[in-house]
Amino acid sequence: MKFSMNKSPKVIAGYTNWRKKLVLMILGGSLGILGVSLVCLNFGVIPIHPKEIFSLIWNSSLDKTNSLIIWQLRIPRITMAILAGAALSTVGGAFQGILRNPLADPYILGVSAGAALGACIGIALQYSTGYYLASYLPLFAFIGAMFSLYLVYMSSKISYTLASTGLLLAGVAINFLFSALITVLLALSKSELHSMIFWLMGDLSTANWSKITIVTIPVIVGCLFLFSSSLDLNALSLGEEEALHLGVDTGKLRIRIFFIGSVIIASIVSFTGLIGFVGLVVPHITRLLVGPDHRVMLPTSALFGAIFLILCDTFARIIIAPTEIPIGAVTAIVGAPLFIYLLQRRNV
Amino acid sequence: MKFSKKLILIFTFLCLALILFFAIQSQKSDKLPLTVIDDSGTTVNYPLTIIDDTETAVTIPQEPQRIISTAPSNTEILFDLGLGDKVVGVTNYTNYPEEATKVEKIGEMSPLNLEKITSLKPDLILAYAGFQLKEIPRLRELGFNVLVIEPLSIKDTLKSLKMVATVCGIPEKGNTLVEDLSQRVNKIKSEVSKITISNRPNVFIGGTYETIYTPGEGTLFNELIILSGGKNIAASLPGWVKISPEFVAEAEPDIIIIPIGAMNLGEESKIKKNISQRPGWSNIPAIKTQNIFIVNEDLFYRAGPRLVDGLELLYEIFHE
Repeated sequence: MKFSMNKSPKVIAGYTNWRKKLVLMILGGSLGILGVSLVCLNFGVIPIHPKEIFSLIWNSSLDKTNSLIIWQLRIPRITMAILAGAALSTVGGAFQGILRNPLADPYILGVSAGAALGACIGIALQYSTGYYLASYLPLFAFIGAMFSLYLVYMSSKISYTLASTGLLLAGVAINFLFSALITVLLALSKSELHSMIFWLMGDLSTANWSKITIVTIPVIVGCLFLFSSSLDLNALSLGEEEALHLGVDTGKLRIRIFFIGSVIIASIVSFTGLIGFVGLVVPHITRLLVGPDHRVMLPTSALFGAIFLILCDTFARIIIAPTEIPIGAVTAIVGAPLFIYLLQRRNV
Repeated sequence: MKFSKKLILIFTFLCLALILFFAIQSQKSDKLPLTVIDDSGTTVNYPLTIIDDTETAVTIPQEPQRIISTAPSNTEILFDLGLGDKVVGVTNYTNYPEEATKVEKIGEMSPLNLEKITSLKPDLILAYAGFQLKEIPRLRELGFNVLVIEPLSIKDTLKSLKMVATVCGIPEKGNTLVEDLSQRVNKIKSEVSKITISNRPNVFIGGTYETIYTPGEGTLFNELIILSGGKNIAASLPGWVKISPEFVAEAEPDIIIIPIGAMNLGEESKIKKNISQRPGWSNIPAIKTQNIFIVNEDLFYRAGPRLVDGLELLYEIFHE
């Protein structure tokens, strides 16, 4: 970006005209989601003519198998991709803000490891008690995530370093601890627990309407909470001390965003498993495109994340059909080159 | 907007309550009323309700005509029962029997391609619990009859065979097959019972990789070794375990068995050479006497009728 003397620093940093930008992005993003969804609805291992899809959307009683594929498989999958993409990107952006660390992603504060350990314990219980618990696994994952959240919070409180560093380090430590516990559980168990590995791999194919209903509330309510903290996040991006001078209680802000973000991620991870890279890269891409103002950046991230994940999931299911590629691999393969391209173009 | 701790807590508990509600609701749909199962007769009365390996009651409305198998072991069971012509979908891993490889592929074992499965319009899906925990409830929700098979022993495997035969309307055929297999198992058992413990060889199940994973207590492989009159050096360890080369050297196995994929058969001499040259293993009796055997892993890993072939092969290796 070229520096020009007749523009105020505010203009250069991209903090002006935020309302106009936001409205534009929301309109464009929503239209984008709608368009991408409609296009991706046409792709799948089974070729169904677009005309038929269109008529099935309005009248689902036409063909039983095809309407099952459209209404119970493709549409829920796309909807879940929208929710997961939006949630991961918003939380990723907010975490990068509170930790003041560009490498932060939604999983860095230990939620994922907690969810994994919780689900792992659920599977272990299933095999040791003989009681079939598959539908309770999201609950175990959520409780595990909440437990790790509590541990990270408590250990960051007693840390002697800078508050953001303390939180980050506590998160990393809990991540390692829980991953190690999972490894030990795997080593101690008979072969059953290996199904854990498959449970954990991010996957949107099992999305259904009741899961979507449940995930929608935490995602929408939580993301609105995060959006409403945008101004405080802007202040924090100037620096810890500067934010304090501006009257932002940075400690409280950090804990608040950490808790709300983690609850959102916990409810997503409990149902979809771990989908990597989205939460790390989409906020950066958004920042490159619309500037660092959180008021615009966070909602735009949500919309971009949704579009990005729909596209990645569609790739995952059609590229070498009928085999499905784990979606985490696709997000990285598509996202990394795109990110590097944008980095060099904007020269940031 | 003001955020109090209370508000955040309420938010957290709301999410918890929602997920709990989801779990209870989906658990409910798993439970169905139970009717009496009779698998000793020659005919089957549909609708038939049966309890599968996930403790779920599955109701089969009529004799299945379009079956999808989501695991190679299930495919082998189906073809052994002569149900091959009713199988409409198998996974990429299916390699036995020959006819099964010609059936339409549904993709990997995990994640299952639900759209492909739906499009094949199956009236019975034989699933495998371990890898498909996520997909099984989803398939049931979509209205498919999913029978989950997850045998953890030879006895369970024979039971699954009978269950599949009953569900598919040929209980008699199942009984004959199981009878035949049990007889073969019993023959080995009675031979082995004559062999004193001191005459049973120490057996190590190795691999072609640097890191050693070996089957311990609770695995099908361990059961096969015990039944065929061998002493597994890892018998006291749980499940598939990683062990150190030292552990193997210490255990002094008399026989080393290397299970490999069917596609890699034919590289015996290379694999044997690699094993023999591992540092610190030159004093192992099995290496001194070159008692190293390369076997087809499918005979030992797949919970199907070919386990008995594996059992007989092990007996042959150990005692003949």
